[in-house]
Amino acid sequence: MSKDKTKKFKGTERELQARTLELDELHHDVGLPAVAEALAEMRGTSRRTFLMGAGGAMAGGAALAVGSGAVPTLAAASTRRLPAVKAAFPPAGLTGDLAVAAVAASLENLAVFAYTAGLSAATAGKLGTVPPAVATFATTVKGQHQQHADAWNAVLQSHGKAPVTVTNPTLTPTVQSDFAKVTDIAGLAQLAVTIETIAAQTYQAETSKLKSSAAIQLSSSIQPVEMQHIAILYYVLGMYPGAQTSSGTPLAFNPTSRAV
Amino acid sequence: MTADPRALTELLEESQDLQADALRPTHEALDELVETAHAQPEDDAAANQAFHESHTRALTSSLAGTALLGAAGGAVLVGALASAAAASSSSDVQILQTAASIENLAVSTYKTALTLPYIGGSSANPVVTKFAQVTMGQHAQHADAFNAAVKNLGGQSQTKPDAAFVPVVKKAVANLGSATPAQGSLGVVALALELENIAAETYVKDTVLAKKETNKALLASIMGIEAQHVAVLLAVQALLMGGAPQLISLSPGTAAMLPAAAGSVGFPNAFYKTNSAAPAGQGAVK
Repeated sequence: MSKDKTKKFKGTERELQARTLELDELHHDVGLPAVAEALAEMRGTSRRTFLMGAGGAMAGGAALAVGSGAVPTLAAASTRRLPAVKAAFPPAGLTGDLAVAAVAASLENLAVFAYTAGLSAATAGKLGTVPPAVATFATTVKGQHQQHADAWNAVLQSHGKAPVTVTNPTLTPTVQSDFAKVTDIAGLAQLAVTIETIAAQTYQAETSKLKSSAAIQLSSSIQPVEMQHIAILYYVLGMYPGAQTSSGTPLAFNPTSRAV
Repeated sequence: MTADPRALTELLEESQDLQADALRPTHEALDELVETAHAQPEDDAAANQAFHESHTRALTSSLAGTALLGAAGGAVLVGALASAAAASSSSDVQILQTAASIENLAVSTYKTALTLPYIGGSSANPVVTKFAQVTMGQHAQHADAFNAAVKNLGGQSQTKPDAAFVPVVKKAVANLGSATPAQGSLGVVALALELENIAAETYVKDTVLAKKETNKALLASIMGIEAQHVAVLLAVQALLMGGAPQLISLSPGTAAMLPAAAGSVGFPNAFYKTNSAAPAGQGAVK
């Protein structure tokens, strides 16, 4: 290797290191120690005690959602039917990218509702034993969906439009119906896969149709996160942890057939 | 199968002249997608030059913002990366060629990793082996699709790996030679994680930069797949570092044994970042 090449390689390494530093720091400072600590605790803790601890975490998560007022109508409705939305949707006056923003916010609201309802049902003991990782997953993902909804509503508000606070009216009846049939964590995870898949595919489909760079950027920054939720849900379900066909064949390209 | 670093390096070098035998037939749906892009090849030289210069400036600015630039011979680096982009190609062609170069590097990396006994051998975790095999195949399909899109725009296929990242991979692979299986597994996961994240972030950013709707759609159909690879690798990394490789399993009941933090380690951010994205023209054919 020549001296010049060595210089170039060294610089490239530094560049790559600098670029990945933030991700690494976040992962190593927060994610990895948390997992390691939990594993260490597990080794010295009985299964029963551990799962009881998870139940406590579930209760805490549900109480936070209800108490925070972040999604008051949805949290209060957690295990009962949502009021039917009669108004036109997207709301009149919203076209183009703003109409997409409204639909996106409504999908995120639906996801927040579903996870809130799931956490409430779990806390009430309606879903059987709840693995601690599932409790953490639901609480964390609910928070991320709330951030997504807030981001789309910020777009609407920056254009002088009202934020969307309802769940997607097209999908809400189906989700309500499906949720009513959920009796265990596996059923809840399957429903979550459906909601996350619809959201991810909708963002993906809109990414090539949106006009403003800001809207494309926002949509593109959210789709991969929804896809990550799906991967972990599949792992929890004991399935291949990635996009797949209905028969479980992994997919190299995510489809958009379930986009709304 | 051994972990001889020379053998691994040779394998990697061979794979730089990528890799007709590893490429898979392009997905049918993508064929349709690309066919619809039979629009006029972009030949606005001024616009292409402006794109090239713009992204050279962006790269210069980005690197200049780091404290490392001066100490690391940053000017050399900037020049090397900027010159990789061919100003004569359209911006979309440059984006697609760069994407193909990243995919080519990923294919060669997984191919090398699968030669290691603790990744692809009899002592490997079967879930890890399957993941590596499936993921390698997906990256080959991605490279194929990006190059099909390049051809439809009148460009030249990118069959080589991204030169800017090859040294990093080589160094990481060389370090695996003296590693124990536990250390080696972590090294492979860390390397794969870096490459997958670069791919995902690059495509997220490029959905904004690409001009043609079909190219945006192609990038969007792949970025989430790469992000899923990242999520899985983050979870695997956490379980390995936590001393619980037995929980890297798809067996019934595994979920109940996972620590609480494993439920969120795979998606550390609510919005996917782009600060690790490769410059759009970095892997363009010269």
